[in-house]
Amino acid sequence: MGATVISQVTPTQSVGKGEGLTIIVPVKAAVPNITAVRLDPVTHNLVREGVPLMLNPYDRNALEFALRLKDRYGGRVITLSMAPPSGKDFLESTIGMGADEAYLITDRVFAGADTLATSYTVAMTIRKLFPEFNLVVMGEETTDSTTAHMPAQVASWLGLPYLYYVVDGEVNLKEGTVRLTRYLEDEGVFEEYEFQMPVIVSVYKDSNPPREISLSRKIQARLGNLVKSVTNNELKLDQYCVGLRGSPTIVAKIEDAKPIPRKKQVFKGDPKEAAKWLIDNLTKEGVIKS
Amino acid sequence: MSMDNRKIPIEERLNSNAWDVSQRPHIRIIDPDKCRKCDTKPCTFLCPARCYILSQDGTVLFSHEGCLECGTCRVVCPNNAIEWTYPRSGYGVQYRFG
Amino acid sequence: MSQRFDVIVVGGGPSGLTAAQRLASRGFKVLVVERGRRPGSKNVYGGRIYAHVLDRLYPEYVKEAPVERWVRKERLTMLTKDSGVTVEFEIKSVEHKSFTAYLTNFTEWLSRKAEAAGALIVTETPVDSLVIRDGRVVGVRSGADEVYGDVVIVAEGINRLVLESSGLTPKLQPSVVGLGVKEVIKLGRSEINERFNLDDDEGLAWALAGYPTHYVPGGAFIYTNKDAITLGIVVYLEHGAKLDAPVHELIEEFRLHPFISRLLKGGQLLEYSAHLTPIAGLGAMPDRLYGNGYLVVGDAAGFLLHLGILIRGVDFAMESGNLAAEAVVKAHDEGKYDEEALSVYWRLLNESFILREFRAFRNAHKVLNNPRLYSDYVMLMNSFMARYFDVDGTPRRIWDTFMSSKGKLTLTDMAKDALSLVMNL
Repeated sequence: MGATVISQVTPTQSVGKGEGLTIIVPVKAAVPNITAVRLDPVTHNLVREGVPLMLNPYDRNALEFALRLKDRYGGRVITLSMAPPSGKDFLESTIGMGADEAYLITDRVFAGADTLATSYTVAMTIRKLFPEFNLVVMGEETTDSTTAHMPAQVASWLGLPYLYYVVDGEVNLKEGTVRLTRYLEDEGVFEEYEFQMPVIVSVYKDSNPPREISLSRKIQARLGNLVKSVTNNELKLDQYCVGLRGSPTIVAKIEDAKPIPRKKQVFKGDPKEAAKWLIDNLTKEGVIKS
Repeated sequence: MSMDNRKIPIEERLNSNAWDVSQRPHIRIIDPDKCRKCDTKPCTFLCPARCYILSQDGTVLFSHEGCLECGTCRVVCPNNAIEWTYPRSGYGVQYRFG
Repeated sequence: MSQRFDVIVVGGGPSGLTAAQRLASRGFKVLVVERGRRPGSKNVYGGRIYAHVLDRLYPEYVKEAPVERWVRKERLTMLTKDSGVTVEFEIKSVEHKSFTAYLTNFTEWLSRKAEAAGALIVTETPVDSLVIRDGRVVGVRSGADEVYGDVVIVAEGINRLVLESSGLTPKLQPSVVGLGVKEVIKLGRSEINERFNLDDDEGLAWALAGYPTHYVPGGAFIYTNKDAITLGIVVYLEHGAKLDAPVHELIEEFRLHPFISRLLKGGQLLEYSAHLTPIAGLGAMPDRLYGNGYLVVGDAAGFLLHLGILIRGVDFAMESGNLAAEAVVKAHDEGKYDEEALSVYWRLLNESFILREFRAFRNAHKVLNNPRLYSDYVMLMNSFMARYFDVDGTPRRIWDTFMSSKGKLTLTDMAKDALSLVMNL
């Protein structure tokens, strides 16, 4: 473990104390391995036909982080996702892991959203449905679009502090504070921060390996109707801020990155000679300068 | 790259599938010593995903990531040395055609 | 919340979902527990479904089911490295006998049928074992969870991990299963029609033997879908040790065979899959198909008829699910689900095509397990044809050509093998 930094962040909002935590985990469906997705050779759009969508793998780590806090400090974990009606399936998976309730934010006016419009919709849903929340916990990024925009933008819309690469947290329910540990991969450093809740967190993708989905939880998800739908009829968000109309991003073109042709050469023999051979050849190819 | 006149390497074939691989392996070699001493090592040529590879020192190396979940390794292992279950939580290969 | 059901079905494949649909539509409270992310996502088969059971159980299938093409052309080829002898049967008919389909889609369709009837289908959760109390199955266990039901229908598929871990069947033996390895290759619709000489909705079912498995017992298949073909090999695991190349290489060698690769030109690999399949008929059954509080259906029950050229799994699976459902209804009317009450399942199986056909073909596996079929006879037919059609001025009388083509096969062997094929298939 490297250096430890502790900094104090000024509270922005008061929190309800003593009833356990309310943790919101926004999630998204993703294509787990992108190689199965093809580009249409004519339109250059992603062909997702037949490619199953599932809960973004890194969102599972985020949910695990939230569930561990709930296990230790009590309270409830609520997942939500902006998705078409088929999104019910992967929200059921979050109940299967242990979330108490899930909300599917679904409405035609939300379709075609980029990350800005999506984060707005998610942030405003949280504010309207769960104004008393303590933490919003999100995955580091999605495996298929990998922008990592969402948590920072949600924090920004809500005007709350945001910490990323988080691996662990300790809550002081009485004080309404949370001490978060994050891991900076490149530096190999752990840092600790203390916040007055609420706070927005994104979870380091190689931490908090997700728990299994339980049969009885999945049955409860269905029989207890634990996945609920909300539309813009209830949310009443400005339709110029959501969906395609609220999205400044335009995807001009997607191109298939062709594999780079490799000059395959194999050298067998003494490591010293091999090193010399390698340096000579790399120099000859102009990869390195002598 | 066209597949007309070449064998598609197994890795590339597996890559054409949709996957959601768990970090927790669903296969376990109970006793690697049994595998080292096994004369026939049928898993190394009957696994359709080439999950079992014979290393130069005679040990059998395996990976669960490309497992197609057929169960062949478990059935053909002459020493009952493979503990094999299905991946949990919906993980593993996601067949789109079947 | 009570987690108690009238019926729990282990596995959401064709047999389990049919049982679930039948029972839910009769008002039973049914839970289907499926390990895949969605029904169908773990299912693999050859490529063709025989429709006779659908006509009875799901007559609406003609309009609704994800049919690819109706099979109107059957082809059998004895293939060597550079030659082949083919028999082909083609029929111009509008009758719907069998069709090609993707099993993933088809299973998903069956799951919608079961859900529409009121069954609860829970995915992403494998059953580890049955809960057995005082010698009776009372529910299923998944991880730390137990869910209870009056009766459990085991539709877990060929590997039988649940039955085995519950002590109800010994470990699956290599001698009763084959390994199927398959590639789905995208090809244009018009290319398929032209290259396989088919109309738009017409399909080809093609069985091949010999070279695809390097003359080891097993075979190969090709089915045409709308705009893709499925191609695969099946190796009898009992003979796996005789292979001179790994299985994952065999299928590629088959695909690159000059007669095959020219049909697939410009194709694109969509999926690479593998699955075990029962091949031993009655011999692939577990010890018991019913007991106190449980029934076994589909592949788990060994219900797949394998006659070399003719392979039928899905129709047997669906019918066994249907009969299990009927047995549950009858046992329910009697007010108990013990072994005696559920033995009606065995009676229903006996009266159905399932056991009638299994018994008619009870020696099929023994016959088809004869290695000569996949090596000597393939060679014989090919060298006979090669010699007979090789016109060079030497007179080629059929009998002489035959005798000089037969290699080390003796006439007695041939007579015996021919008789046993005709008598048992």
